[in-house]
Amino acid sequence: MSAHAATAHTAHTAHEHHETGFVRTYIFSTDHKMIARQFLFLGLFMMILGGLLALIVRWQLAWPETAIPGMGRILRETGGILEPSTYNMAFTMHATIMIFFVIMPILAGAFGNFCIPLMIGARDMAFPFLNMLSFWTTFTAGLIMLSGFFVEGGHAAAGWTSYAPLSAVAQYTGVNWGQNLWCISLFVMGVGSMMGSINYITTIVNMRAPGMHLFRMPLVVWSLFITAILLLLALPVLTSAVAMLLFDRTLGTSWFAPSGGGEPLLWQHLFWYFGHPEVYILILPAMGIASEILPVFARKPIFGYHAMAFSMIAIAFLSWVVYGHHMFVSGMSPALGMAFTVTTMIIAVPSAIKTFNWLGTLWGGRIQFTVPMLNAIAFVSMFVIGGLSGIFMASTPVDIYIQDTYFIVAHIHYVVFGGSIFGAFAAIYYWFPKMFGRMTNGVLGHLHFWGTFIFFNATFFPMHIIGVGGQMRRIYNPMQYEFLQHQQHWNVFITYSALLLGVSQIPFVINFFWSLFAGPKAPLNPWNANTLEWTAPSPPPHLNWGDRIPTVYRGPYEYSDPDAREDFLPQNQPPVGAGARRH
Amino acid sequence: MTPALQAPPRPPAERRTNGRLPPAPPDFGDDGDGEGEHGPRRGLDNLRLAVLFFMGAEAMFFGALISALLVLRLGMAAWPPPLEPRLPIAVTGLNTLVLLASSVTLVTAGRARRRGEPARHVRWLWGTAALGALFLAVQGYEWIRLIGFGLTLASGVYGTTFFALIGLHGLHVLAALVWLLVTTALVARGRFGEGRSAPVQACAMFWHFVVGVWPVLYFTVYLI
Amino acid sequence: MLDWWLPENVSTYGREIDWLFHLIYAITGVTFILVAAALIAFLIMYRDRPGRRARYTHGNTTLEIVWTIVPALILVVLTALSAPAWSKIKMSMPPSDVVVEVTAKQFNWQVKYPNSDQVFLDEMHVPVNKVVHVHLKSQDVIHSFFVPQFRMKQDAVPGREIKQWFEVVKPGKYEWPCAELCGFGHSGMRGWIYVHSPEDYKKWAAENLTAKAKAAETAKPADAAKPADTKPGGKAKK
Ligand code: HEA
Ligand code: HEA
Ligand code: CUA
Ligand SMILES: [Cu+2]
Repeated sequence: MSAHAATAHTAHTAHEHHETGFVRTYIFSTDHKMIARQFLFLGLFMMILGGLLALIVRWQLAWPETAIPGMGRILRETGGILEPSTYNMAFTMHATIMIFFVIMPILAGAFGNFCIPLMIGARDMAFPFLNMLSFWTTFTAGLIMLSGFFVEGGHAAAGWTSYAPLSAVAQYTGVNWGQNLWCISLFVMGVGSMMGSINYITTIVNMRAPGMHLFRMPLVVWSLFITAILLLLALPVLTSAVAMLLFDRTLGTSWFAPSGGGEPLLWQHLFWYFGHPEVYILILPAMGIASEILPVFARKPIFGYHAMAFSMIAIAFLSWVVYGHHMFVSGMSPALGMAFTVTTMIIAVPSAIKTFNWLGTLWGGRIQFTVPMLNAIAFVSMFVIGGLSGIFMASTPVDIYIQDTYFIVAHIHYVVFGGSIFGAFAAIYYWFPKMFGRMTNGVLGHLHFWGTFIFFNATFFPMHIIGVGGQMRRIYNPMQYEFLQHQQHWNVFITYSALLLGVSQIPFVINFFWSLFAGPKAPLNPWNANTLEWTAPSPPPHLNWGDRIPTVYRGPYEYSDPDAREDFLPQNQPPVGAGARRH
Repeated sequence: MTPALQAPPRPPAERRTNGRLPPAPPDFGDDGDGEGEHGPRRGLDNLRLAVLFFMGAEAMFFGALISALLVLRLGMAAWPPPLEPRLPIAVTGLNTLVLLASSVTLVTAGRARRRGEPARHVRWLWGTAALGALFLAVQGYEWIRLIGFGLTLASGVYGTTFFALIGLHGLHVLAALVWLLVTTALVARGRFGEGRSAPVQACAMFWHFVVGVWPVLYFTVYLI
Repeated sequence: MLDWWLPENVSTYGREIDWLFHLIYAITGVTFILVAAALIAFLIMYRDRPGRRARYTHGNTTLEIVWTIVPALILVVLTALSAPAWSKIKMSMPPSDVVVEVTAKQFNWQVKYPNSDQVFLDEMHVPVNKVVHVHLKSQDVIHSFFVPQFRMKQDAVPGREIKQWFEVVKPGKYEWPCAELCGFGHSGMRGWIYVHSPEDYKKWAAENLTAKAKAAETAKPADAAKPADTKPGGKAKK
């Protein structure tokens, strides 16, 4: 078969088989692995920015209105003291950057690009050029977003949710072009991610290697498949909403401002109709990554493969009908609120299924505590905490009290940091050898993991406490409120922890760059894993396997099969007797 | 990047099928789930599949706009608001027929292609494009009149929703028209022959989509 | 510490919210302990040791069904228990003769009473043990009426009037922050709610509410621009 399949498969990239120059290899590359690396670097760079913004926020909360070290140069007029408007800008941009330019590029962008073709046995994406375009569109969106910091009036400051009419009328915040650029950037980002998701879905539907049934796909591919579908359908809603917002701000339309007959709650409906699927876009790839890494290092098949796949599908379906839980006290009809409670409670069930199946995977295993494994286990346990705090909010009466308090902030960070970021770290450590052809350093990895794990909890767990104590989110100075002053020591504690959490990332940065250039060369299959990417060279060349794509004979999690010689059984290893017939 | 493995040579043009794979090799694996399907090898080619998904995204885009319109309308005491100019229902109704007709001509073109009559194929494609252009021209004319009557994007919810929904659809028709013109020009030069018609079909899918959205918009914006 | 960090509750329906809060606290707490205990036990028991071979199993349908049904049941019960409190708080309005009109603006609460033109800035006076109706509006952006000790929160949305109620059981002075980001002065947008005994309230109303005409001169300046330092009774920034 091979020759024929190969030619058909790669026809569109064939014009590249002459020597490719630096620009074509590293910048305008159409190779999915290079695009993955580009997304990864984009995300990690933005993470430093987003993290530093968070530290600015934290400093202000612990020691309100004192000069922030190092900020004297940037905030010249105030000598480094944050003003309320700058504070609003800081957390708005912190969240915007973290969600749209850190987690989405890393989990969906980098690992989507890296894993999908390699793990389903394709030579590249279905549309390599579109893939490149998708990265550069996202990159442009990032540039537009960053340019907002330099315009007059400052960057968007209406929260990452940008509730209208605060965001729709410039006088209300004093922000003019910042908010416009915010809209434009997210519009462009929406277009970019649409290109990416179309590519992912098409690739998964049409380009699987022979024998790669849907239900033999690794769960991370399943998760990216479902994520791509959610992206495809959710982002256009955001795109049209930010277009409306931009028109309101620049062309004088009246979607959201009541003065012209607009409806402020319309923005919230549109935003959360996108926003809730969005939070599952952030978590699903991380769930897939955990489902991938746990079996490898427990040396055991994943527990309940089908349950895992179907629960992700269920999450994707349900994510469309729960968005109202962000609007319980927004003035939306309370009867609707009741309905959204029901659906929100239901959506916890598939997450429960996943959690218990992860536990089932560990049960009876032979667990190796490698760095990716530690991060994956941290993902499971932290996601459970974040998910359980979601139950408080799902109960409408309780949400009346805790909505817009730090309890929500704690929830956010347990799911997005404890969930998505630990998932991203796990993925980076796990696939680094394949991605860059070198092993990472274990000591630095452990240092990074334990620092992050401890200080993550020290930073975000106390937020539950001050949230229950009533501290509102998005406030500039908790000391302005008498009922909050008695718990200010927690804010100080949280800030110290956050600073240490930041410091804990330094071993990661060192490890990453040191290993990139000087790490020991990675073998083909360093973790003795089953999936197809480990059968390609490290790092895989352009077109991955060249003219011979692997044939798949079994599911991806056949570890410790008593009938097999070793404790793993790669997906492409022919069963005894079958090989002869094949070639 | 390692040049060890090079891309195989490009096959002759008539054998290239948009990345679709030839029939599957026999399947030996058994993962016990009794799945009999061979995934990659059935159904649409990549291009048409991608256009299909793109249409899904577009549907959500228009869905958001339409629901925004409905939400705003329900919040108004009277619709259309008093003192706003009336929309040209009759002219636009006729224009709707023009656009729908373009779908019919496109189907006819497809039939000609399948029968192997390239000249007729091209002629019907040009016809389709002409109808699309006519639609846009009439729309543009009506817009100018409405703006003359004082209905603009900035003149309250009515103008906002009208111009945003109809305008964004107009942009889509324009984009589809450009795509169709390019495709037709290429077809006229004999680019997509026997068995290589997927790009033409993809273009047609998008055209039908843009046409299909219109009656919905006509109904929600003009009629109700 | 038994209130688990919740501030003291002084409203009638606050009790139900707190009860639900504690119930969920128990449910999630137990769930978390079970999951964490299982996780840690597995990590210790099944850590890699020489000679160990992992159990080769792909799952168990019975278990799968159990851990789908049990959480689902718990959650259904929780929903059922949440519904009555919600409909009591947000879906119905017990009758009342105390009505307060609150209009939020950047960055103040403007309080009016029927039969009086007087506008109070960032302060509200209500009687104890009486159902109070709040007619909530906003004149610019979205704000949120939040009284932590009443367990009450409701967004004020420009362009509509939202009716809410509360009943306080303990006289006192309660802090009344804005909980929805509303601009640079969001932090510090705060008022006080004075809950009086019936006699005190009568006295206060007699002194302040009947004077239709002298509203203008006693009301505080309406556009206090600086968010933080102009609040009456507020502790200025340190
Ligand atoms: C990755 C992102 C992510 C994920 C996965 C989730 C998951 C969930 N979220 Fe969260 N959420 C956010 C990100 C996320 N959220 C963000 C960013 C916001 C704030 C937005 C903003 O305003 O800025 C938010 C806000 C938010 C609100 C609005 C709060 C408010 O503003 O008032 C609510 C309300 O219901 C909610 C609920 C839930 C629920 C029920 C889940 C569930 O899916 C969780 C399910 C998981 C579990 C329950 C744990 C595992 C299960 C078991 C161990 C089984 C046993 C459990 C029981 C029997 C209870 N979330
Ligand atoms: C999506 C992911 C995400 C991530 C990863 C984070 C990470 C962090 N977040 Fe964020 N956060 C959000 C999403 C996220 N957050 C969202 C959605 C909101 C709501 C916003 C809104 O209300 O609109 C929010 C809001 C929010 C608030 C509330 C603000 C408010 O309401 O007033 C706070 C306050 O403490 C906070 C803190 C932090 C901290 C300390 C981190 C830390 O974990 C960051 C740690 C990382 C670093 C510090 C960077 C690493 C640094 C390096 C690698 C370089 C090292 C070099 C040097 C130190 C020189 N976040
Ligand atoms: Cu008003 Cu916040
Ligand atoms: Cu949600």
